[in-house]
Amino acid sequence: MALPAPRKKLSTPESVYLVEVIKGMFLTMSHVIKNILDQDRFRTIEYPDMRKPMAARYRGAHRLTTRPDGKVKCVACMCCPTICPAKCITIIAGEAADDPAEKFPIEFDIDMLRCIFCGFCVEACPKDAIRMDTKIYEINAYTRQDMVHNKSYMINLMDGLKPEAEDVYRAHPEQAPAGYTFDEKPVA
Amino acid sequence: MAKVKINDTEIEVPNGTNMIEAAKLAGEEIPHYCYHPHLSIAGNCRMCLVETTTPRGPVLEIACNMQARDGLAIRTDTAQVLHMRKSVMEFLLVNHPLDCPICDQSGECRLQDYYMEHGQYDSRGLDPKVGKNKRQDIGDLIVLDAERCVQCSRCERFGDEVTGTGELRLMNRGDHTEIGMFPGDRLSHNYQGNLADICPVGALTNKDFRFQRRVWYLKETASVCTGCATGCNIQVCHQEGEVFRYLPRRNDQVNKSWMCDMGRLSYQEIAGLKRILKASVDGKAVEPDVATGEIATRIRAAGAAGVGFVLGTRATNEANWALLQMVRANVPGARIFVVEGNDGGQAAQGDTLLLSGDRNPNTAGARLLARHDGNVGDRLALLAALPELKLLVVLEDDVLGRLGAALPPVVFFGAFKNATAQAAAIVVPTAHPVEQDGSYINRQDRVQRVRRAVNPVGESAPAYVVVDRLGARLGKAPGTQMVAAAFNGMARAVERMRGLEFKGLGAEGRLLAPEAVTAVPGAEAST
Ligand code: SF4
Ligand code: SF4
Ligand code: SF4
Ligand code: SF4
Ligand code: FES
Repeated sequence: MALPAPRKKLSTPESVYLVEVIKGMFLTMSHVIKNILDQDRFRTIEYPDMRKPMAARYRGAHRLTTRPDGKVKCVACMCCPTICPAKCITIIAGEAADDPAEKFPIEFDIDMLRCIFCGFCVEACPKDAIRMDTKIYEINAYTRQDMVHNKSYMINLMDGLKPEAEDVYRAHPEQAPAGYTFDEKPVA
Repeated sequence: MAKVKINDTEIEVPNGTNMIEAAKLAGEEIPHYCYHPHLSIAGNCRMCLVETTTPRGPVLEIACNMQARDGLAIRTDTAQVLHMRKSVMEFLLVNHPLDCPICDQSGECRLQDYYMEHGQYDSRGLDPKVGKNKRQDIGDLIVLDAERCVQCSRCERFGDEVTGTGELRLMNRGDHTEIGMFPGDRLSHNYQGNLADICPVGALTNKDFRFQRRVWYLKETASVCTGCATGCNIQVCHQEGEVFRYLPRRNDQVNKSWMCDMGRLSYQEIAGLKRILKASVDGKAVEPDVATGEIATRIRAAGAAGVGFVLGTRATNEANWALLQMVRANVPGARIFVVEGNDGGQAAQGDTLLLSGDRNPNTAGARLLARHDGNVGDRLALLAALPELKLLVVLEDDVLGRLGAALPPVVFFGAFKNATAQAAAIVVPTAHPVEQDGSYINRQDRVQRVRRAVNPVGESAPAYVVVDRLGARLGKAPGTQMVAAAFNGMARAVERMRGLEFKGLGAEGRLLAPEAVTAVPGAEAST
């Protein structure tokens, strides 16, 4: 049974409609003036032409990193599907005949409809093979099937895009988190 | 008996019991690599060090080479013991590649487990690790990674003491000690899979299971291998209805810790192409119920004198019992047979270790029930009766291949498309042993249980259920839908099974009562 939410008793100036309206107008006007005086910190952005810079730790769509020879770093150790609380990672492992890594993922799917963006998969990975540093938050598709990101999609996700954090880290390596390794694949 | 003290627990064990086993009985796990209950003592890993008191004061000794004697007291929890365990771990891991992400052993690796329990040190390694040969193909079923080896010599002793083939050898000295084989040598025996099981680390891994599934996903169900009459105890490892491997399960009376590769790989047939998925009548797929109705009609048409039934040496006791009861209640006077032999009709080779030449899991069980009934014919009786039979109802066995003679129209209850199934007029699929509960009797007359690990494929159901449904169509159901009731009913009726209970069969099975000395005349011919 839904309980009625307790209502705050209004004070006399509050119960007079006009006072509150004028207070609200003052707030709005103060923002207008602030925006005009300090245009760098404009509070309204014109999405999608403008985008907010995301924090370095923002967890966006997953990507799979690659080794210098272009092969995927993932060795299908199954740590990420094991830790994943949403059970949305499906990996089929195979033997890489000519590779000292021996094991690789034949298929690597993440069902983005089920993912809760907790980032555990990134934490669990012993190979730094999966990252969520893409800052991509527009994850959408017309069918459910297309919401399952597969291996090649996640490898090529950053083509033509720069991971913002990496940009900063390249310019200021001292700001990179301890042990951060750059993806050797040249970023466009 | 000897009274020994492990930490603060005092227990009584037989004289000479290995102290690792004694400690296990006292609930104390002593970590170990080289000790194996069914191999000789090597004492080279030093992981099992425990403290004993001697006239010289407390000393560290290896528990695996210590035998229980009266008054022996060991401690596994002193600071010295814990320090030694940590140091041994550090020593063993000095040159270890830490391949865990790609190593199939991970999840059931003694190095991982003991590091978490007893290691937990920070690496002090300065020199590069000694590299060794990785990914060597040394047999049909085994991949060797020499870098991961901890030189416990279990595999060497297995080759020397169990199979007698002695292929694997530890070579060189110091930290260059490497497990390997002589050039040109290759594992060729039927017991290779056991090497991967006894290797406490990921040096020897099973090629068939390689990269298939992480072991921590797998659920285990205690069961019995149905590849031959030995009935090795196994764990069925499965996930979400799919079986990925069989592992031997320790039973000192039957298979110790081993099983043969033929049996180990027989899991592949569970979802194999030879499984029967659908019921069919005269080649047309129908619902199992329709097929059962059609069988009942044809049995009535053939009449008691014209229909024969064959108990299965591959069927569970419960299924054979169900068929026996069903026939005696509904078609009195119909003849029942047991046809021994191997499917396809070829004689098979056994060996002196485990594998039996009889490739049926339940020949002893079919024989027992035949004797109990006292009026069951053998293959010669069936050959003689063939001209009079208008219908033959077969449980699981490839009677056509075993007899090598043309059969009357056949009704086949079974899991696999053998020659008889292919020739049969009516086929009803039954469940594979890992898909049902039931019991088999091995060649030592040991009654052992199989347990349902996965759901039956397609339209199949356990044979005792299928036979029960047929009984219901014919008038009297034998009441064998519930497996425990079927077994307990059988155990009450069959003399040598008296006292056995389905729930009481336990993990290691129970022996039948010995055969009565005065054999019933005529019973010989029936087996
Ligand atoms: S972010 Fe969390 S839920 Fe999403 S795939 Fe990774 S572990 Fe699973
Ligand atoms: S944890 Fe990393 S290496 Fe392991 S399967 Fe996931 S992405 Fe691959
Ligand atoms: S043998 Fe054990 S510790 Fe070594 S790589 Fe394999 S799982 Fe890891
Ligand atoms: S290969 Fe395995 S069983 Fe053989 S000595 Fe090495 S660790 Fe022991
Ligand atoms: S188990 Fe005792 S020394 Fe290896």
